[in-house]
Amino acid sequence: MEVLKVEDLSKRFGGINAVNDISFRLEVGERVAIIGPNGAGKTTLFNLINGQLSPSKGRIHFFGRDITALPTHRRAHLGQARAFQTISLLLNLTVLDNALLTLHGTRPHRFKMFHPVKDFKDVFEDGVHALNALGLWEKKDEPVSSLAYGEQRRLEIGLGLAMQPKLLLLDEPSAGLTIDESSDIVEIITNLRQDMTVLIVDHDMDMVFEIAERIIVLHYGQVIADGTPEEIEADQHVREIYMGVEASDTTLKAG
Amino acid sequence: METGATQEEQNRWLGKILVSLGSLFLLCCPLFLSSYGEGLMTRFLIFALFAMSYNVVFGYAGLLSLGHAAFFGAGGYTVALLKLHFGVDLFWISAPLGFVIAAFTAALFGIIALRVSGIYFLLVTFALGQMLFSLAWNVKWLNSKGMQGITGISLPDLAIQGLTLNTTWYYYLVLIFFAISVVVLYRLVNSPYGVALVGIREDESRMAAVGYNTWLYKYLAFVISGAFAGIAGVLFSYYNFFVSPHHLGIATSFLPMVMAIMGGVGTFFGPVIGAVVFIFVENYASILTPQRWPLILGGLFVIIIMFARDGVGVYLWRLLSKVTPGYGSIKG
Repeated sequence: MEVLKVEDLSKRFGGINAVNDISFRLEVGERVAIIGPNGAGKTTLFNLINGQLSPSKGRIHFFGRDITALPTHRRAHLGQARAFQTISLLLNLTVLDNALLTLHGTRPHRFKMFHPVKDFKDVFEDGVHALNALGLWEKKDEPVSSLAYGEQRRLEIGLGLAMQPKLLLLDEPSAGLTIDESSDIVEIITNLRQDMTVLIVDHDMDMVFEIAERIIVLHYGQVIADGTPEEIEADQHVREIYMGVEASDTTLKAG
Repeated sequence: METGATQEEQNRWLGKILVSLGSLFLLCCPLFLSSYGEGLMTRFLIFALFAMSYNVVFGYAGLLSLGHAAFFGAGGYTVALLKLHFGVDLFWISAPLGFVIAAFTAALFGIIALRVSGIYFLLVTFALGQMLFSLAWNVKWLNSKGMQGITGISLPDLAIQGLTLNTTWYYYLVLIFFAISVVVLYRLVNSPYGVALVGIREDESRMAAVGYNTWLYKYLAFVISGAFAGIAGVLFSYYNFFVSPHHLGIATSFLPMVMAIMGGVGTFFGPVIGAVVFIFVENYASILTPQRWPLILGGLFVIIIMFARDGVGVYLWRLLSKVTPGYGSIKG
């Protein structure tokens, strides 16, 4: 089944085509990575898919439904979850509050005005479960700002997962992490339910090649290659663009 | 350091004790206060309600509005106009209508003001408030003959056999509305809706990404807050016997903001503490130096900003509970 279909998507900022006529499809359970040099339009593409930006041209379908005009929160209800490139947790609130707020967001009672928030036991239990799984239950009453950076990243991704999305969008999950912390993230992602589709943007090639079954390469807002890691690694064009012209001797993976 | 659970328990008890003592004082104070003191307490309750309503938008949702007096004044003018043009004294007509008109004004202004955010939101709310101010200043129908503002408002008629309201009864009427508002607003800010407002204040784009219609949340907060400011305005015009265009404009919009900041923005009882400080310092300073009391109040405000930035309420709470409550934490 088709999760996401992006058709002729373009986004112009002034005279610049940040995203230029991009089309691709994702099937259920696929683990796809988007790579490309800085400024290739990766984050812009994510913003279009998740609804932070609206495209200048083109359409986006999510499980067959045209979501091009839907606001971000509606896309969350349809099953998209996103971890941002810079930590987007509520830094002054506690770990537990962050978890509960995230979980309440896609439940029907999020508009309830006169029930104490702690009365919603099912959400609370899901929150407890999620924090336990992340190994952060001990720190539930600490403000997120006091967590180490790696813990914040893990929390953000973990909460995205706790929303039980159909499509998980990860924007540079390994940015700023140590090698150990990165491999934690890799482990989390590889252990996901098989029907969860993951779209990931990252510069860490080790991580990308470990996780992704398929890689899409962007350059100046356009798709220049789309295939399995082996195909991408062998693609001369990608090597030239990504590694510079003289890259023919090195392997992409080593970069 | 004690364990978190008992500390939390202690704080909860402390909170309960403080609220009980406060309630007891509010209930009994007319017994030993002069009628002047009673008037002052009435004034305090009205402005505490006004500041609490403002705190929903400013403290919880993080929207810095400079036009909140528009809703306060809308409530007050409703009462005054009903009296002036239709001779209506009956509380049960004027008050609900004042509430509805304040909410309606907020619903209208919110649609305009919430199209922008940050400093622009502040400017738009300011401009909308000033529009009402100038309307009230210039339209004849909105003023008593030969003056700016509407006079001749008296204490309301409650239509209860054998009861003529005096200032003591009026104090209790205000206290009832204050208490109801405290309960309703307390439940509101501790509900999933209220907690989500805090989330939106902290990071709106994240809240949208996890499924919250952030615009609608802010809009509802704006309207609810305006409606409660309207109640404060209704109660104020009966108390003051007079409403003026200034009750719609910037001069009055500043009051709840100053009170909220003085007492503790984004904490539930902070604005109430702020109102205590403001109203009583204003009163005694104006007795002391009838000309220069704003200087004293301003100086106090500066001192609070410099030495107890989280507000006097939060400062006192820390002294009493000897722990640092997470500022801006959901439990507030």
